[in-house]
Amino acid sequence: MGHKQRKPAAELGLLDATMIGMGAMIGAGIFVLTGLAAEIAGPAAILVFTLNGAVTAFTGLSYAELASAVPKSGGGYAFARETFDDVVSFMMGWMLWFAYMIAGALYALGFAPNFLELLHVYGFVPPLDAVGAIALPVVSATVPAKAGLAFIAVLCLVALNAVSTAASGSVETVFTIVKIAILLVFVAFGFLSATGGGETSFTFQNFDPLFPGDDSAFSILPALGLTFIAFEGYDLITTITEEVENPRENIPKAIFASLGATVVIYVLVVVVAIGTLGAPGLAEAGEAGIARAATSFMPADIPIIQNGGAVIVFGAVFSTMTALNAVVIASSRVAFSMGREGQLIQSIGQLHHRFGTPFVAILTSAVVMLGSVVLPTKSAGNMSSLFFLLSFIIVNGAVIKLRRERPNMNRPYEMPYYPVPPLLGILLNLVLTGVLITYLLQTDQLALLLTGGWILLGGIAYYALEWARSSDSETPSSEDTIDQPGVETGVTSKEGGN
Amino acid sequence: MANTNDMRVVIVGSGRTGLRTARLLDDRGHDVVIIERNPERVADIADEHLATVIEGDATNAAILEQADLGRVDVVASMTDTMGTNFTVCTLAAEIAPDIRTVMRSVYETTSEYAEYVDEIVFPEQAGARATVNAVERDIQSLEETTAQIELLEIRVAPGAPVANRALADIRLPEGSVVISDIEQAEIASAESVLRPGQTFVVAVEPAVAEEVRQLFRG
Repeated sequence: MGHKQRKPAAELGLLDATMIGMGAMIGAGIFVLTGLAAEIAGPAAILVFTLNGAVTAFTGLSYAELASAVPKSGGGYAFARETFDDVVSFMMGWMLWFAYMIAGALYALGFAPNFLELLHVYGFVPPLDAVGAIALPVVSATVPAKAGLAFIAVLCLVALNAVSTAASGSVETVFTIVKIAILLVFVAFGFLSATGGGETSFTFQNFDPLFPGDDSAFSILPALGLTFIAFEGYDLITTITEEVENPRENIPKAIFASLGATVVIYVLVVVVAIGTLGAPGLAEAGEAGIARAATSFMPADIPIIQNGGAVIVFGAVFSTMTALNAVVIASSRVAFSMGREGQLIQSIGQLHHRFGTPFVAILTSAVVMLGSVVLPTKSAGNMSSLFFLLSFIIVNGAVIKLRRERPNMNRPYEMPYYPVPPLLGILLNLVLTGVLITYLLQTDQLALLLTGGWILLGGIAYYALEWARSSDSETPSSEDTIDQPGVETGVTSKEGGN
Repeated sequence: MANTNDMRVVIVGSGRTGLRTARLLDDRGHDVVIIERNPERVADIADEHLATVIEGDATNAAILEQADLGRVDVVASMTDTMGTNFTVCTLAAEIAPDIRTVMRSVYETTSEYAEYVDEIVFPEQAGARATVNAVERDIQSLEETTAQIELLEIRVAPGAPVANRALADIRLPEGSVVISDIEQAEIASAESVLRPGQTFVVAVEPAVAEEVRQLFRG
C-alpha cells in the first residue's frame, strides 16, 4: 500500500497514570497560582493548598469509584453521560470543555512571564516589568508581550496536536519527573538558604502573622476558589482510562497517589517561596513568583547555566508548556466525546482522515483558548476553577444517582463510608462555588459575565442541536436509502457466525 | 441514537461467546453493558475493563432496567439457555420497543422464535467450521475464528472522514489495510476513491478496529 500509517497508542502503567495526574496538578498551577494565592491569603497560602487538597479528596473518591465501574475514557463527561439525562450530561461536557480551555489560557498566560524571566536571566530582555509591549510589524500594532507570547504558545501546541497523536502518552511521565526534580531542588536550596543570613534567606518570620492585616481566617476562602484548578488532575487521569493497564486497580491508586504527592509538593514549595521572598514579595511577582524566589537564593556561580535560579525558571517555562499541552489534549478529548455522543455537531466527533487526530475538536477548542489569552491571568484562573467546581459537583452527584438507581452495577472500587464522601464533596464544592461567586461579584465581574455567557451559550447550543436533529429526522437521510438488508450497522465481520 | 454510529449494546451472559462478542464490540468503539449472574465472571470482566457490568439475572426486569434500556440500541442475549435468551429479548422489547434484539440459539433450526426477535445467531456453526478448517487443511473456509486479524466489510458512510477521498490521501492506523472494494472485485490501489455507500474489505488488528470504524463510519 502506498499510504503511510500511524502507530496506535501505547499502554500506560501506574506510574504513567499518576504522572499524568500530577503533571497537570503540579505543572503550571504551582508556578502560576502561588503568587496569586499569596496576594489574597498572605502566608496562609500554605493552608490554601492543604485545604483544597482536603476538599478535592472527597471528589477524588467519587472519581475513583466511577472510573472503576464505568470503563470509558472521557473523564467526568463520560460518567455524567452514563448517569444523567441529555441536558445534564450536555452541561457537564460543556462546562468541563470550557474549564480545560480556560485552563489552557491560564497556563499560556503563566508561560509568558516565566519565559520572559528566563530571557531576562540571560540578559536577552530587560526585567519583566520593563517589557511592556512587543511590536508586531505584520499587524502594525503592538500587543502586550504577555498576551502575545501566550497566543504563540497556544498556537504552537494546537498545531502540534492537530497533526500528530504522538504528543500524548508516556512522554508525559518523563516530563513530570523532570518537573518534580526541579521543584525538589528549589525546596532543598530554599531550606539551605536559612543558614545563609542573606536578605532573602529562608526565615519563619515571613509567616508571622499568618493571616495578613486585620483579616480573619475566612479571608483565605477566595484563594481556595482561585487555586482550586490546581486539582483538576483526577479528571485528566480518567480521560485516559482505556490506555492504562489493569485500570481497575491502577486508576484509583493513581488518583490517590497523585493527590497525596501533589499536596506535599505544593506545601513544601509554598513554604520555601514565602519563607524566602515573603508573602508580599511573592504576590508582587505574580505568575513568575516561584521563578523570582528562586533567582533570589539559588547559587549564581554555576558553570554554563550561570545562575542556579535559571534552572527553576526553566522548570516554570517547561511546566507551563507541558501543562498547556495536557489541557489542549484534554479539552479536545471532551469535545470529541461530546461529538461522538451526538451532543455537539458531528464533525467535532470525527477523526481527521490523514492525521488520525480529533482535528475539528482541537481547532474549535483552540479558538476559545486563543480568544481567552487576552484575559487577566486571575480571571482565567477564577473561571476555570469555577467550572471545575461545578463539574465536580455533578461527578459527586453521579455517584449517588448510580448507587440508587443501579445497585447491582459492579463497582470494583467502592468508596468507604458512602454516602458521606460524595455528600461532603457536594457541600464543600458548593460552599467554594458560593465564595468564589461572591468574590467575583466584588472584584472580577468580567469573569462572572463570561461564565454566565458560556452557560447561556451552552443552553442555546443544546436546543439548537435538538432542533436541527428533529428537523433532520423528518427527512430520511441518504444513508437509509442505500442500506442493504441485513447489514444494519454498515460493518460486517468476515469472522462472524454464519 | 445521535448522529454517530457508536451503539450502546447490552450483552447478557459473559460465557465464552458473550465475552468474545463484548470484546469485539468494544474493540470497534461501541458502548457495551454486560449483565452477568456469576460473581466470579463479573470480577474477571472487571479486570478487563471492557464494559459496565451489572451483576444479576437479566430475566428480572429490575436488573435489566439497570442497563438504562432507554438509551440502548441492541440487546444480545448470549447465554447457553434458550429460555433465558428468549425471555430477555421479549422483556427488553416490552420495556423499550425500539430496541433491536439478538438471540443466541443452541439449536440449528429455531424458526419458531424468528417473529419475536430481530436476529437469531447460532455460534456453534462458526465453531464447527473452524474445526473443519483444522481437519481438512487444503480447503479453508474464510471465517477463521481463531485469528487476531479481522476481515471487515465496511460501508463508507456519507460525511465520514474518509468519504470521497482517494486511498492515497488518507492514512490508516498501523495494523489496518484496505484490501478491496467488494463490488468491483479488484484490489484497492492508492487511486481508489472511497465513495459513500460503497463497501470495502478491510483487514484490521483489534487495537485499531475502533479507529478504522470511526474513519469509515463517521
